[in-house]
Formats: sequence, C-alpha cells, structure tokens
Amino acid sequence: MIRYAIRRVALAIVVVAGVVILTFVIADLVPGDPAVAWAGPHASAAQLARARQHLGLDQPLPVRIGKYFGGILTGNWGTSIHTHQPVLSDIGTAAPATLELVVAALIIALVAGVPLGLAAARWPGTFLDHTIRVIAVLGVSMPIFWLALILQLVFAQRLRVLPVAGQYDPNLMFTHPLVTRTQMPVVDALLSGNWTVLGSSLRHLVLPAVVVAAYPVGVIARMTRAQVLDTLGETHVQMLRSLGFPERTVISRFAMKLAWNPVTAVLALVFAYSLVNSFLVESIFDWPGLGSYATASVETLDTPAIVGVTLFIGLVYVAANLVVDLVQAALDPRIRLQ
Amino acid sequence: MKRCRAGLIAAGAVLVSSLAACGGSASSGSSQPGQAANEVFTYDTTTAVMVDGWDPATEYSDGVIAMSEMYETLTHYNSATGAIEPELATSWTSADGGKTWTFNLRHGVYFHTGRPMTAQAAKAAILRTIKLAGGASYIWAAVKTIDTPDPYTLVFHLSYASPLALQASADYSAYIYDTQAAGGGNALTNWLNAGHDAGTGPYTAQTWNKNQEFEVVLKTFPKYWGGWTGTHFSKVVFRVVPQDTTAAQLLRSGQVSFIEQINSSLWSSFKGDSAISTVSSPSWQNLLAQINSQRLPVTVRQAILYAIDYNGIITALRGAGVASSGIVPPGLLGHFSDLPNYSYNQAKAATLLKQAGYGPGGKALNLSLTYTSGDSNEQVVATIIKSDLAALNVNLSVQALAWPTQWAKGKSAKAAQRQDIFLEYWWPDYADPYSWFANTLETENPPYFNLSYYSSPALDAMINQVEPLVATNKSAAEALYRSMQVTVLQQAPMVSLYNVNYQYAMLSGISGFQVNPAYPNVVFVYDLKP
Amino acid sequence: MSTLLARAPGVTAVRRAARANRLITAGALIVAVIVVVAVFAPLLAPYPADAGTATHPEIALQAPSMRHLFGTDQVGRDVFSRVLYGARISPVVAFFVLLIACAIGVPLGIAAGYFGGVTDEIIMRVTDVFLAFPALLLSLAFVAVLSPSLTSVTIAIAIAWWPWYTRLIRGQAASVAGRPYVEACRTLGIPHWRILLRHVLPNSMTPLIVQVSLDAGGVILTISALSFLGLGAQDPVPEWGLMVAEGENYFTTQWWLVTYPGLAILITALAFTLLGDGLRDTLDPRRLPVR
Repeated sequence: MIRYAIRRVALAIVVVAGVVILTFVIADLVPGDPAVAWAGPHASAAQLARARQHLGLDQPLPVRIGKYFGGILTGNWGTSIHTHQPVLSDIGTAAPATLELVVAALIIALVAGVPLGLAAARWPGTFLDHTIRVIAVLGVSMPIFWLALILQLVFAQRLRVLPVAGQYDPNLMFTHPLVTRTQMPVVDALLSGNWTVLGSSLRHLVLPAVVVAAYPVGVIARMTRAQVLDTLGETHVQMLRSLGFPERTVISRFAMKLAWNPVTAVLALVFAYSLVNSFLVESIFDWPGLGSYATASVETLDTPAIVGVTLFIGLVYVAANLVVDLVQAALDPRIRLQ
Repeated sequence: MKRCRAGLIAAGAVLVSSLAACGGSASSGSSQPGQAANEVFTYDTTTAVMVDGWDPATEYSDGVIAMSEMYETLTHYNSATGAIEPELATSWTSADGGKTWTFNLRHGVYFHTGRPMTAQAAKAAILRTIKLAGGASYIWAAVKTIDTPDPYTLVFHLSYASPLALQASADYSAYIYDTQAAGGGNALTNWLNAGHDAGTGPYTAQTWNKNQEFEVVLKTFPKYWGGWTGTHFSKVVFRVVPQDTTAAQLLRSGQVSFIEQINSSLWSSFKGDSAISTVSSPSWQNLLAQINSQRLPVTVRQAILYAIDYNGIITALRGAGVASSGIVPPGLLGHFSDLPNYSYNQAKAATLLKQAGYGPGGKALNLSLTYTSGDSNEQVVATIIKSDLAALNVNLSVQALAWPTQWAKGKSAKAAQRQDIFLEYWWPDYADPYSWFANTLETENPPYFNLSYYSSPALDAMINQVEPLVATNKSAAEALYRSMQVTVLQQAPMVSLYNVNYQYAMLSGISGFQVNPAYPNVVFVYDLKP
Repeated sequence: MSTLLARAPGVTAVRRAARANRLITAGALIVAVIVVVAVFAPLLAPYPADAGTATHPEIALQAPSMRHLFGTDQVGRDVFSRVLYGARISPVVAFFVLLIACAIGVPLGIAAGYFGGVTDEIIMRVTDVFLAFPALLLSLAFVAVLSPSLTSVTIAIAIAWWPWYTRLIRGQAASVAGRPYVEACRTLGIPHWRILLRHVLPNSMTPLIVQVSLDAGGVILTISALSFLGLGAQDPVPEWGLMVAEGENYFTTQWWLVTYPGLAILITALAFTLLGDGLRDTLDPRRLPVR
C-alpha cells in the first residue's frame, strides 16, 4: 500500500507540474502587451521598457516559467484586473460558496441517483426501469443554464415557493447577523446555532443545488444501474439465488458493495464537472462563488483571474483523483497490484 | 470615469423594508432619527457602485448614487422648477458681470467626522478638488481665488464670467467635505478609498463589502442639519444584482424597494401590480454613438448616420427611449427641436458610401462597435445598427465589454486597437449642455471621453467661448450652442441615438420620490417616507 | 425459478440487443431529423433572413402565433427560423471538434500503445495533464484569452477533448500490439505503419465510434455553454446557447426566447446520447466508462 501510495503521489506531482505549465501557456497566449496594461495607456516608450523589465518580460522563456512556478508555490497568483486584489485571495473568498453548492448537489445526486439506479437494476425492462433511464439520460443531456432559468421561473417566480436568488434572506443581515467563519452560510449558521439563517440558507440552496445535481444524478444512476446489472448477471450471484437468498438480500448485501466501486471512481470526475457546471448557474442565482468570479473575469478580460481559477480547479481535481485512488486502493487490494 | 453604468438595467433600489420593529415611530418633537421603525432602503444595481474609489473630488461615475446620500453641495438644482436652491449655502449673489460670487453658508452643519462646516473648510475642499483635477473639476476652471471673510461667507473671484451657482450644484466634483479627516494629505485619500466618507449628508458609510453583492451599507448621521423628525429610512444598502429578471422578482417579493432601470418589457409587466408603482420620466441622459473620426472620412461617417434606423431603435426600446434632436436633451439650455437631424435614409447612405468606393456593389467595409455588456438596451441598439449596416455591404463586428474594458480599449495608445463606433451614455455634470461638448467633442490628446477622436480647432474655439456667455448673455450662448450642434451634425463625429426615458419601479408604499434629471438615478433617500 | 431464467446470460444478451436496437432507432431518427433540418433550413424556415442580419423592431417580442410559431425576439426576428438554422451551427461545430480531437488523439494513442516504453510514458503524462481539467473549464480558459468566436471555441474544445481518445486508443493499441500475429508480422519485416494501419487501427474503431457518438452530446452542451457565457458564437449567428443568453433578461415576460432554443439543445444532446448508448450496447458489450 505504501509503495502504491508513493507511486501515486509522485504521479500526481508530475501532473501538477504539467498543469501549472499548461496554465502558464494559457496566460502567455494573451494577445496584447502586459506591459501596457501595467504601465497604463499613456506610458512613454521608456516607461514601457521599465515596465517590461519589472514584469520580467524581457527574460528568456525558461526563466519566466521558473518565476511563474515560484510565484504559484509561494501563493502569488497575480492580481486580478477587475477586483484589484490578489487572485488567490479572491479565489479564497469565492471558493467556499461554490463548494457549498457542489457538495449539496452531490449529496442530492447520491441520495437520488443510487436508489434510482438500484431500482432500475432490480426490475429491469419494466416501466419503472424505462422511466428511470429516461430521467437519467435527460440529466446527462441537460443544458444546465436552461434548466436553471426554467426552474427559477417556475418555482421562484410563478409558484413563489422558493427564493429567487442569493444565499440567504438579506433582511437577516440586520436582524440575525451571521458570524462568518467559513464563508459558507449553512456551515456558519450551524456552527453558531443561528437557526433562522440556517433555514433561510437551506431554502436558498435548493434550486441551485438541484440544477447542478442534474448531471451527477444522471451519471450516478446510469453507473449504478449498469454495475448492479452486470454483477447480478455474474455466476456467483446466480448461485446465491439458487441457494434461496431473497432478491432483496442479494442486491443489498452483494451487488451494492461492488457497485460502490465505479460510483466512487466517477465521484471525483463528477465533482470536478459539477464545480465547473456551477459556473453556468451562479450568475443566474446570484451565487457569489467561483462561477460568478469567473464570469466577471471573462467579461473584463481578466486573464490572471481566469488562469487562477483554471489552475485552482485543475489542482482540486488532481487532489480529488488522488484521494479517491488512495481510498479505493486501501479498500480493494486488486487495484494496488496494477 | 463616467458611464460605467450604461443604462443601469435592473438597478433595483432594493428597499429592504425589514422587520419593522414596531416601536413608536417619531417620538414627538425630538430630533431622534426615526430609527425605531428600522426601515432599510436597499438600492439594487447591476454593476458595482463604488468602482472609482471613494474620493468625492475625483468621482466621475456611478459612485454618485451612493455619494449623494453622504455628501452635499453648496446649491441644489430643482429640475421641476428650473431653480437653483440652497443646500449648504443659504443664499448667494454675483457681481462684476458674473466674475465675483458670494455664498452665505448654512449654520449648524457638521461633517461626519464631527468638525463643523465653515467657510475655510469649504474652501479647502474646493481647492483640493481643483488640485486633484479629476472628475468634473473643470466646473471650477474659472476660479482664480477664494476668500473667506468670515466663517460663513465664501467669496469666489473668477478669471472670467461663469454661472458658478449653477456649477456648484453639479453632481460631480462639487461636494463639500472635510479635508482634515484622517490628518489630510495623502492619508486622507487612502482613508477615503478604504471606504470612509467625510461629508455632511444625512447618511454616512457603515460598511463597504468590496465586489460583493451587498456592496455598501449606509447608516444615519444623527447630527444632520436637516434633523430627523418624522419617519425616515434608517439605513441605505446598495445591492448588486446583475440579472434584470432576478431584480424584478426581488421587487415583487418586497425584498427590493426601488429598481433604477430595467428592460422595458419587465418594467411594463409591473403595471398591473398594486404593490408596485412605476415611474416614467424624461431625463437628460442620452446614448451617444461616437464614430472614429481619425480612421473614417466625413462621407463615410455621414453615410453611417444615414444608415441607422432611429425609429426602429426607439420602437425596439419600447418606451425606454425617445427621439433626439441634436445632442442636447430637452429641458436644458441649447436644446432645439428643429435641427437638421439625420433620419433613416439608406439610399443616401449608399450614395455617400459609393463616393468612397464602398457600399452595395463596392468594396466591403469592415467596422467594429463596442458597447457595455450587461445592458440589454445597448445590445438591442447594437444589433439593429449591425443589421442596418449589413444592408449596405458594411460588416459591423459587435463586441460587448465590461465598462472598464470598453473604455480602456477606446483610450488605447495603439490607434489600431480602437473601435470604429463607441456606444456610451452621457449626462451633464450640472444643468447645462457644456458637459457634452467639453468632454466628448473637444480635442483630447490622449483621448479620455472624446472617443470619436474628433479634433476641430473651430469647434474648440466655440467651446471655449460658450460658458462665460451663459452667465452674461444667455441668448448668445443659445445661438452658439445651436451652431455647435449644426457643426457636429455636418461633421458627423457622433450622434445621439436616443434620449433615455427613465423607467423606475418601486414599492407603492414609499412616498416622497421625485425624479431629478440633474442627479441621474439618484434617490435622495432622506426625502422618502417608508 | 423464472427470475433465474430471466437473468440467464443468453436472454440478457438478446434483451440487450433488442433494447439497443430501440435506442439506436430513436437516437438515429432524431439525429436524422436534425440533419435534415440543418440541410434544408432555408426551405423549412419561414423567415430565413432572420437567421442573418435582418431585424424587424416593429414586431419585437411577440408571443408565439400562427405567423411566428415560436414568437419573435427582442429585435423582431422569428425565433422558429433561428432555431431551425441553429441546427447548422452547434452540430456542425461539434462534428469538427470531434474530428480534430480524433485527428490529434488517435495517432498519439496508437503511438503510445503500440510503441510503449518512453513514448507511452510521455504521452500518457501529457494526457494526464490535459485531463486534469474538466473540458468546459479548459476550453473556457483558452477561448477567454483568444478572441471569442466559433472558431476559437472549436479549437479550444478540441484541445480539451483529444486526451480522452488517446487514452481509449492506447488501451486498444497496446492489446493489439501484444498479440502473437503482430510479432509475427514484425519478424517478417512488415513495416510499423502497415501493421498500424491494417491491424491496430481497425480493431480500435469500434470503441472509438461508440465513444465519439456518446461524446457528441457532451460537446454540443459545451459549445452552447460557451456561447451562453458570451465566448462562442456572436450575434446574429443563431446558435442555441447564444439565443438563451440573449433571451435571459426577457425570460419572465417572454418565455419563448429561452424555452425553444434550450429545448433544441436538450433534444440534440439527448439524440446523440441515445445513439451512443445504443451503439455501445450493440457493438461493445464491455461496459465503457460512462461519462
């Protein structure tokens, strides 16, 4: 296990290095002269030359890459053009909101997707199976931004059962001020026992989380169904049946255990995809997370911010994959031998 | 740095009328703020308000919406009556043909820092504003010296005649503030830009959540000279909501009390709702299309202006705009409805293009247009212009950019990177058309707001002559504004596409709101009754 | 007893084939409709000019009616015509994306799998790096720094997508490369490229076809997402994602601006996913990683 872990971590580090270089390439692709952006549009030739020197643009490529690397490692991810703050601190402010949203979405996806997949596998070929498969395939083919608009229109505007936007009721800012520690209203409210804000933030979380959960629900339901069906078709399960175990036991005790494996494997991928999918819905629900930050950066051609967000999510994904791989290897010895 | 608001779509003033703690409202006679009611006024906007920093001397953009609550000017312009009213000055006189102005200041006014407002303090503020030379500081250009014979008298000596009482009512660079706050000098600028204010107004800064949704929170200033009898809002919140539809829904659910501007079809949808009152009002704001005069010759510029379907644009705006005549909107000196304006004439446009070798059957002409992203009205306008030009073999590429980006591109040192047509809103700095000419048409090197890059010494000369005339010979000033507009129409560096019609929506329970085009999109919350 | 029989391998396979057939039929049918619409859009659309630069402000924002089946947009263009013409945009762009991604990814995958060793290591690491980013994010970053246009989008998504095919093909190529008859060919002196072309490539085609058709839906969603964010097609191109973005501010009062283009995206992505599912069940019973 240790050897596997070391190998796996080493691999992750190599990938991380490659990720940083790739983002450097993206940052470098920007047309136009960063010196002008720094020195301002009225700079003289001498000022531009000084700016170029200050920014290190006159140095050879390997040196620039090295400096970029150094900057990343020491936490200097550049300054955002539209907020004038360090990019890393902007990301630190925005990331918790997105995290809250994605975690909620994944919880919904697991709670809905796994049972749906199980039910479909339990009674394959029935009307229930077909319905679930239609739902799953719809989830996977759904344009998220469209779903967000439609749900917002139906539930928030027409039916008025759910709030329109925001993380929690703004009035509560004055009447039940929230002590912010993690920048996640749900967590902060729990930590400080602020039940009013907790209720409000949960209500505000429903629509965005359901929208972001659409894709993971589809994927998880399909995976679960496929894996359980496969397992059910295998010999040892048939033997169990012939021994007289009821179907319910067969599924819960044996098929499910093996079904968790691919679901866990796909969880990291689904997590990263949901992180990015949330970009599309954050502006619709006024959710102050990475997505709103990224869309604002795109509108203002804020390259440092865009590159910063890209790098951040890339790193998160590599880390998530690493964690999932290690956990799987710990649970399933067969993996370590590959 | 004006015009980042560009249309201010769905800038809903969110009136957060929160849990009105019952508690008796005004305790009779006392000057306690009506805080017992705990009413909060939330102003909803599409883009951040304080993008330009917090310095009242150099603010030249949307920050005025918040600053108008915290700061005050010597005089105030009442557009309903056309009269200049007292604010921090109670009366004033002019002498010497408009070259000497004496203002008598109000007693009992305090800065939020605690110091009293005196003539010395006012003089220091104005001198600092002039020195920093930002924003609309040109309004003080005529000032030679300022005297303070006693703590409540301010005497201005001008180098040429100028309508100073009018200029002192400006919505930019006319604020009176405490230059001694935080020790003055550079420390003052840094202290201000950290989210503090040194004004005399009814509200003062409480918190600044930079770049976040609830951007600015203001609280009452108990020692405000106007007093707090009666019911007033106890807090003002500025909330950033980029989506029109979200803002509309927030208003409907009562979480917002005032929407600054929203696309007209959403605005019309409020009409049947008894909880919401809609306000439609003409303004002094118009949408300018500035055509790159360095790159395109006058025939091509005129052709473009003939090619635009102005009525089509107004129809598509559905009440958000009305037809312009010349550059000056109605209600201001210098407005004439009988100018030789452009009208939609594709045939004429084609003939003009042909002279330059373009047009249908000629070479294709590729042009670029930029407008401010987030503004659905500008987007509609850009789409229509693109379609109009396409019929004449002119390919217009349209780019929506965030205001700071759009403006930076227009000011770009590399002329090749600049756009061919620049769309931006303009409104006057004080109730006078001078702002249009001085800022968007006078020769500028490097460009700032003259984004047609137009340079005409003849026009520059006229611009330099006109302001003193306003103080001394009004009809001569009018004639000069007329010939300036005729020149601009002939030379076609820019055109006013339409005059903005404000379409506000607010909760019907709020009373006391009056639209004042001299202070665009400003809601004087102190005057409102929750 | 009956349940046991129902789950016997033979029955399952037959059931799978029958279901796969239905899926392929359904998917292929809708895809065929989309292709027909794309090809014959000028004939099918009542107002073809509205898919271009024509505007009619006097009939802006009209509700669906007999004259305008899907209503008109904020400058009076017929939404129905624009949705029809949209079939020429996203699906075609998706085609090119997948073409380029295969053109880059397949040769690399073959090289990695067949030659193994250092080549394999290097190519796989590079693949890992690209795969560390979700496709939408990587393509967003690329397009944001290039100038937004459909061309940029095509290139950007292709750059994000090729690694999947490299990984897929590598496995195939590696397994083929290890087979005895390939070694025999090498001993006989047959050049590499011949072996690759005649043995490795054909054996890799099946999973590739399945994966490509499964991916087509995802690529279309990515294209419309980028256009929705303003990074892809620019007005007046009738790209569905762009139409949703333009209609967003009018949505609560003029719902047709957003609903129909969004439905078009959904149906198109759905069709390709069904097609891909069906193909996978027929051609390659081994479960491929679901994405």
